[in-house]
Amino acid sequence: MDTAHIRNFCIIAHIDHGKSTLADRLLHLTGTVPDRDTTEQILDSMDLEREKGVTIKASAVRMSYTAADGQQYEMNLIDTPGHVDFGYEVSRALAACEGAVLVVDATQGIEAQTLANLYLALGAGLEVLPVINKIDLPSADPVGVAQEIANLLGGDAQAVLPISAKEGTGVPALLERIVEHIPPPKGDSSAPARALIFDSHYDPYKGVIAYVRVVSGQIRMGARFKLMATGVQGEPLEIGVFTPGMTPTGELSAGEVGYVATGLKTVQQCRVGDTLTLAANPAPEPLPGYQKAKPMVFAGLYPVDGEDYANLKEALDKLQLNDASLTFEPETSQALNFGFRCGFLGLFHMDIVQERLEREYDLDILATAPSVEYEVLLTSGETRLIDSPADLPDESVIEAVREPWMRIQIFTPETYYGTIMELVTRRRGAFVEQEYPAPGRVLLTYDIPLAELIVDFYDQLKSRTRGYASLDYQFHSYRQEDLIKLQILINEEPVDALAMIVHRAEAYAKGQALVSKLKELIPSQQFTIPIQAAGGGRIISRANVRALKKDVLAKCYGGDISRKKKLLEKQKRGKRRMKMVGAVEIPQEAFMAVLRLGDD
Amino acid sequence: MGRPESQPQNLSIYIAIPFCQVRCAYCDFNTFAGLDDLMAPYARALAREIRLVGEAAAGRPVHTIFFGGGTPSLLPLLVYQDIFAVLRGAFALTTDCEITLEANPGTVDAAYLLGLRALGVSRLSFGVQSTHASELRLLDRLHSFEDVRQAVALARAAGFDRASHGLNLDLIFGTPHQTLAMWQASLLRVLALEPEHLSLYALSLEHGTPLRSWVQRGLLPMPDADLAAEMYGWAGELLAAHGYGQYEISNWALPEKAEGRSRRSDPQVSDLRLLAPGRYQCRHNLQYWRNRPYLGLGAGAHGCAAGWRYSNVLAPGAYIARLEHGVVGEFPFSPAAVERTRQTRADEMGETMLLGLRLTAEGVGGADFEARFGATLAAAYGRRLRHLRGLGLLAWDEAGARLTPAGRLLGNRVFREFV
Repeated sequence: MDTAHIRNFCIIAHIDHGKSTLADRLLHLTGTVPDRDTTEQILDSMDLEREKGVTIKASAVRMSYTAADGQQYEMNLIDTPGHVDFGYEVSRALAACEGAVLVVDATQGIEAQTLANLYLALGAGLEVLPVINKIDLPSADPVGVAQEIANLLGGDAQAVLPISAKEGTGVPALLERIVEHIPPPKGDSSAPARALIFDSHYDPYKGVIAYVRVVSGQIRMGARFKLMATGVQGEPLEIGVFTPGMTPTGELSAGEVGYVATGLKTVQQCRVGDTLTLAANPAPEPLPGYQKAKPMVFAGLYPVDGEDYANLKEALDKLQLNDASLTFEPETSQALNFGFRCGFLGLFHMDIVQERLEREYDLDILATAPSVEYEVLLTSGETRLIDSPADLPDESVIEAVREPWMRIQIFTPETYYGTIMELVTRRRGAFVEQEYPAPGRVLLTYDIPLAELIVDFYDQLKSRTRGYASLDYQFHSYRQEDLIKLQILINEEPVDALAMIVHRAEAYAKGQALVSKLKELIPSQQFTIPIQAAGGGRIISRANVRALKKDVLAKCYGGDISRKKKLLEKQKRGKRRMKMVGAVEIPQEAFMAVLRLGDD
Repeated sequence: MGRPESQPQNLSIYIAIPFCQVRCAYCDFNTFAGLDDLMAPYARALAREIRLVGEAAAGRPVHTIFFGGGTPSLLPLLVYQDIFAVLRGAFALTTDCEITLEANPGTVDAAYLLGLRALGVSRLSFGVQSTHASELRLLDRLHSFEDVRQAVALARAAGFDRASHGLNLDLIFGTPHQTLAMWQASLLRVLALEPEHLSLYALSLEHGTPLRSWVQRGLLPMPDADLAAEMYGWAGELLAAHGYGQYEISNWALPEKAEGRSRRSDPQVSDLRLLAPGRYQCRHNLQYWRNRPYLGLGAGAHGCAAGWRYSNVLAPGAYIARLEHGVVGEFPFSPAAVERTRQTRADEMGETMLLGLRLTAEGVGGADFEARFGATLAAAYGRRLRHLRGLGLLAWDEAGARLTPAGRLLGNRVFREFV
């Protein structure tokens, strides 16, 4: 197809504003998917995504649309991940498009990710088509929200298209607008081939499937490809488009969106943002913007049952096939024995991995409290990266510790300004600026240590603002801070999995809070168990779990053994969820206690 | 897949009499108040069950019978005459068969007790629970401690003495509001009655009992486990000083030759030397703890025999109906058996441990265990036993395994290793 009849676009929205529903509606209207025969939200292929209501993996579907002008258009819808952890993937998906449909919920209005995604789209030079979704809902305020959008984008509120993706209202008009307003791709089919990889997934038969947007030239079967960042070469096993199933076409030309089955064994060889070119006639320059996905949040994952170690490794291997941003390496904890130190893009990503391990691989996992990666400058002049608090060397050999700071944007009704300010400053955050992109609402920008962000921040923000505030964040910089290791000793033994890195000024309060939380969580045992917090070379806080004096059934009446056994079995199940650390049984919750210290 | 038992073992029989005048506030047993009309048909159904199961037992000797409840002493003597006639016809009772009947003080008179003794009841167990009026009221007990004194005197006069299998008194400790001093007073008063056997039960708040709901609603304080532990420790020392030997977590018995401690000049005392050792330990309960076979008869009764654990239907009405219309099963099941669980060898081994370890003095014998299962304790449970020994909860040597004094109060931490 000539490029004049191609439209490559994506849909951007705040989470839950109806992006996936709109995508489904477009697929139905264009006849790409018959109405009856679809599972809801076709583009979200994983159950988990459907449950969480967010898209984890981008997808790309080709639709064929006959417009009012009687001409047939090839419309490529590129779905973008809907969560801030996947900001880089979003940026690559946007780079594969010429336009973006901006969906705003008529009942919610503009939110933090609406803004963040909009700025990303404008930054990528995309034509933005704003729509107001969910106008069928009784609480919808299409006029007010249209005005917000007009204020934001400049332009006429009347021009913002009101739709209901659920009922289909306004969606045919949207298709027409896409044809009219989104420019066709530019691209020289005769230049050396360059295709942007904006997503991938692993297929057990065809290896890694690269999702590509061909920017220039042509790729076809029989021509060896080369990935410019990793240097990997290969023979394409299949080239085609998603309709939405994989349909081979044998070639893709400049302007088109589709896939290349690479036969590669891991997604690490075929990274999002890399440029695919031809081995025989490589492009002189890769496409701009490639970054290697870098994990920001780290946690130890341990099998509850030590015998599951090999199964956990296998499961992580399999997840990694599809997830280039998941990293892991073996880790040994004196408390938890053998497990893996895993790196994630963010807390949300960590949640998903953990849930998939438990659900898809039926593993009982114990996760330690998440940590960030610290840069530790030693007196010897060496710099060490530390992603596990237990690994922080002794204070005497440390020159300086630097920690990652994030720049966050919180978009909120003005009423919550005060409570948000308090939340952020309590967590060592610093105010940067404020804007009023919509009446009555404020966009607050702060810098805050990532370590503070990953501990319950989002939940706190939601609860303090009754769910109205939304959050977006990006890495900002590494900053030197006065950080020390807070150690927890249980029964006089330091427990590595409970160690934390904290600001010296907060060591006392955090130590106390953690000790009293642990005292609640650790059940009475045969002997008195002292719990202590130590930091900066001294004991900061201590408490005792009193010894259990009596735990025995008085009688088993009339030979009724079964009831007695049931009780013992229940006790035993409880015990299985415990980890023996020395002679002390510690329940799993204790290892996450740091997350539940609250803000009070 | 029943395993042939190496030798025909003596059987025990538990007979449930699920009737009470009132339900006690702490009790969650299968018992019913206000169903007295059912007593006669219940006794007939019971007689039928005894005959059916007795036939299937094919003459295996029975060395203990235990009438539990409920309140067995609510059934009239005439009913027991029938039951005993049927029992003796259906089963081969050993000459020294221990026959226990549970009774509430205040429900018995001299003629009744004499009658029971004449029928062959050799051991009485009175639910004393406390000697304080306030505690008895809280527990919904209908009797007073004076009733207990009288009942004990009547029982002695009826021949429940040292030549019989003796007298047991039950006490409960760790009740809400109970102080150590109250407990000490109760124990001393009860010791003055010189029972051959004492059961001291720590109160547990069972699901569905009024006591539990009162505590949950804040009407009563939660019993203090630490205080209960102290009461238990104190009781153990006192009973030892009075010559009682502890043989199970909650049970103590006088040894045979207790004449030195007896203040009574009983002409029968001189004959005590002839009696079997451990005579006053409850042989019936030992059967459970040694994981030996017993039959459960009556509504809600549990049994364990021929490789099965089973239990009868709970409601007396349903029990009666099943015995009228039900189909006779294979030994040990009567038509009333509703739950049946096949015991695997692993079940039996584990249960032998968790029951046997309740026996504070004998524990689980190494040689017995090996003879029974063809595996040593070390081979079967070495890792767990070493672990528990390391925690100081268990003693384990060539003779076998038993709880340490520390382990007695933390028995669940030991037992759960074997489920």
